[in-house]
Amino acid sequence: MNSQLQALVALQDLDLMIREAKDPERATQEQELGFELHGVDKLEKTRERLAKQIDESLLRVYERMSRRFTRVVVPLEGKVCLGCFMGLPTASKRTAEPGTIENCENCGRILYRL
Amino acid sequence: MPTAPFVERRESHLEVHLRPTHFIPELRSKKKASVLEEMVAHLAKHKATRQVDALLETLLQREALGSTGIGKGIAIPHARSTVVIERAVLLARSSKGIEFEAMDGNPVHILFLIVAPPVDQDPIYLQMLSQIVKSIRLAPARRRILEAPDFGTIRTVIKGQLSDE
Repeated sequence: MNSQLQALVALQDLDLMIREAKDPERATQEQELGFELHGVDKLEKTRERLAKQIDESLLRVYERMSRRFTRVVVPLEGKVCLGCFMGLPTASKRTAEPGTIENCENCGRILYRL
Repeated sequence: MPTAPFVERRESHLEVHLRPTHFIPELRSKKKASVLEEMVAHLAKHKATRQVDALLETLLQREALGSTGIGKGIAIPHARSTVVIERAVLLARSSKGIEFEAMDGNPVHILFLIVAPPVDQDPIYLQMLSQIVKSIRLAPARRRILEAPDFGTIRTVIKGQLSDE
């Protein structure tokens, strides 16, 4: 996985964690089980730092697609995008060149290879 | 004389995910970060993820949100991550104990690691968290898990705790 894609994956995981920690229902469920969720500010600062490491245009694409999809970066399993579950006939012909970011031909999500 | 019908109890989600391959009887590591690394590496060995570094980073971020050391010698590190394909639970023990920044300040001896993909709706993930908390809430159950000679015994203890509800 190239470094930009790796940073995007980390960003997406952080976004999910922050979203869940800020969701009152979800946060209450975790707190009732005995978990602490007091570090949201810390995560938001980490997110800021991480976002600066990502190429601006790629980050813009991610942010724009985040408004449409919960998960923008999804695995490609064989020839199937695990975001929309559509087969991508040309996926196997592509060479996973270092530094290139692949998108699903059907839904546009950013793909990473398993 | 009519007898009461025998109704087989359905396995809980936690029991379904508890596997002998996902068990570390005695952790080698002693510190929080290295323990998480050891556990993630074990999961990777059993194909739960191929992206060890990415998953470890997400788990460490979850710990930054708040320690998952819930006290009484228990920690339940958990996270949903893009690099996880299927839900997995890993059980690990440490007889000496691990400094895990637990809420009661005590060392952790029993750890359940839960990882899951970030699908939109995943009630099973939360149910498993809840089932783990329920299965270890009593001191005798925790002691039996720590002293169990093998994974099968631990599974029986957990099953028993969940059946008593």
